Amino acid sequence: MPTGLDKLQHIVVLMMENRSFDHMLGSLKAVNPKIDGYVDGDPFTNPDANNNPVKPQPSAKFQGQLQPDPDHHFPAVDLQIFGKGSDPHSNDRKPNMQGFVASYFNQQRNLAHSQMIMYYFPKENLPVLTTLALEFAVFNRWFASIPGPTICNRAFAHYGTSFGRVDLNPIYPPETIKSVYSRLINSDPKRTAKVYYYDTTSSTMEVANLLQNQPELFGTYQQFLEDCDNGDLPDYSFIEPNYSDHQGDSGALIANDQHPDHNVQAGEKFIAEVYQAIKNNPQLWESTALLITYDEHGGIFDHVPPPSCVADKFKADGNATEVGVDFHFDRLGVRVPTILVSPWIPANTVDNRVFDHASIPATITKFFLGDYSADRSPREINADIFIEPQGPAVDPARNLLSLDVMRTDCPDFDV
Amino acid sequence: MALIHVPNPPKNAYDPDRPMGSLLKSQVEHMREAESKLPLRYRQQIEIYIKAVRTEGEAARYIQAVTRAIHLAHEDAERERRAPKPAAKPVIEIAAVADQAAERKQNRARKRPTSKSKKSLGAKRRKK
Repeated sequence: MPTGLDKLQHIVVLMMENRSFDHMLGSLKAVNPKIDGYVDGDPFTNPDANNNPVKPQPSAKFQGQLQPDPDHHFPAVDLQIFGKGSDPHSNDRKPNMQGFVASYFNQQRNLAHSQMIMYYFPKENLPVLTTLALEFAVFNRWFASIPGPTICNRAFAHYGTSFGRVDLNPIYPPETIKSVYSRLINSDPKRTAKVYYYDTTSSTMEVANLLQNQPELFGTYQQFLEDCDNGDLPDYSFIEPNYSDHQGDSGALIANDQHPDHNVQAGEKFIAEVYQAIKNNPQLWESTALLITYDEHGGIFDHVPPPSCVADKFKADGNATEVGVDFHFDRLGVRVPTILVSPWIPANTVDNRVFDHASIPATITKFFLGDYSADRSPREINADIFIEPQGPAVDPARNLLSLDVMRTDCPDFDV
Repeated sequence: MALIHVPNPPKNAYDPDRPMGSLLKSQVEHMREAESKLPLRYRQQIEIYIKAVRTEGEAARYIQAVTRAIHLAHEDAERERRAPKPAAKPVIEIAAVADQAAERKQNRARKRPTSKSKKSLGAKRRKK
């Protein structure tokens, strides 16, 4: 078995908020052409309200630009993916990613303002995310699970399904499908899992089931830092950022989730802190893989059409989707930035396989529990895994932790 | 590799008076639902009226109050579950109860109806 996989004991997932791949990492195509981003001269544009083409621009600001919050509810994302004039009742429409400017224009009827939805960050403005993407593995085809908002997309990371929801309503899972945390802590031999929310004031987006019924699963970000220091990290950790500007025990805390219009630099710092907390403990560093991802694109442009996928066993009816047509969860949402970090991954790794957030419980379950026979959603069962299970028959073409010798040249951030 | 500098966000990025967005609003609504399921004594400690919550700072205070109440309620319930059960009664009392039980059994045996009377009782029940 490859040494990196053999050593792997902990998987950490950090899920940020509402930014698309091209918006955050698109500029990296100029550095590494294998990364499917955007460079000046690429033909991708979006029509504005006057049908004039709008090109992506490297003009994204850390804060103050995306006000109001770009719409990312199901009908708006449908427009963003399929473009103006697309009929949701049509069976043969194809995603063309032509409706981002039109969708943002609908919110303010302001031509100049609507073009800001096509802005992306130059590489040097995001030193943390872009460095990690270049130094470890970046996924060219990691999509949000649903063309919709936060709560239902985050549910896919916890359960492998949203149980038919495409909106921000609470998720009440049926008894048969367990969260990935329940699967682990009830396994034999018992595994450990924790959701680290930033603090009790930011809390979690998983209120209706996990917080309400299993609050013992939760810890704070401070506890995560201590667990890293003490080598007490559970087998699986899921980290939630700070969702609000609020007073903490140590003073004013700035939201670091990167949700528009929260400050993007605060999120950069947070990502760097999580990375350094793991890296600063040598035993943890060699035995941990960190996945950094975003729940959904937040209404911001991306040029890659989301693919279709296996339908889920749940559906959202035409009233729930608000476009008058049932949704069978048979296509993915817009592409999001996703990076896998481990000292066993070669620099400049680019993965072209298709993933979505259902890949998270699929990977965690497979890696820690092996063949899991209890009920899971069709979406999770068919989702690809991003870390191969430990065992003698590892396919080298699929294994990202492929180095025989651990890297000693990994970056450090001054946080 | 050289140490990479990560710039701090500017101090004026902090704005707890920013109107809460749709995500925080839905989180507050989820919390309200969770609050409504808490026992009264925990709900009484959350003295925030959610219709008055408008800003991020206000939302954060409410979210904190409910999150703490949920944890407290579960910790109390867990403590009660783990509390030692009352000590067993002294042996002599158990023996006395056993004697009483034996006495009751003997009395029942004395009063036991014949098979004929059982049948007639059954017939009466069926008629009803």
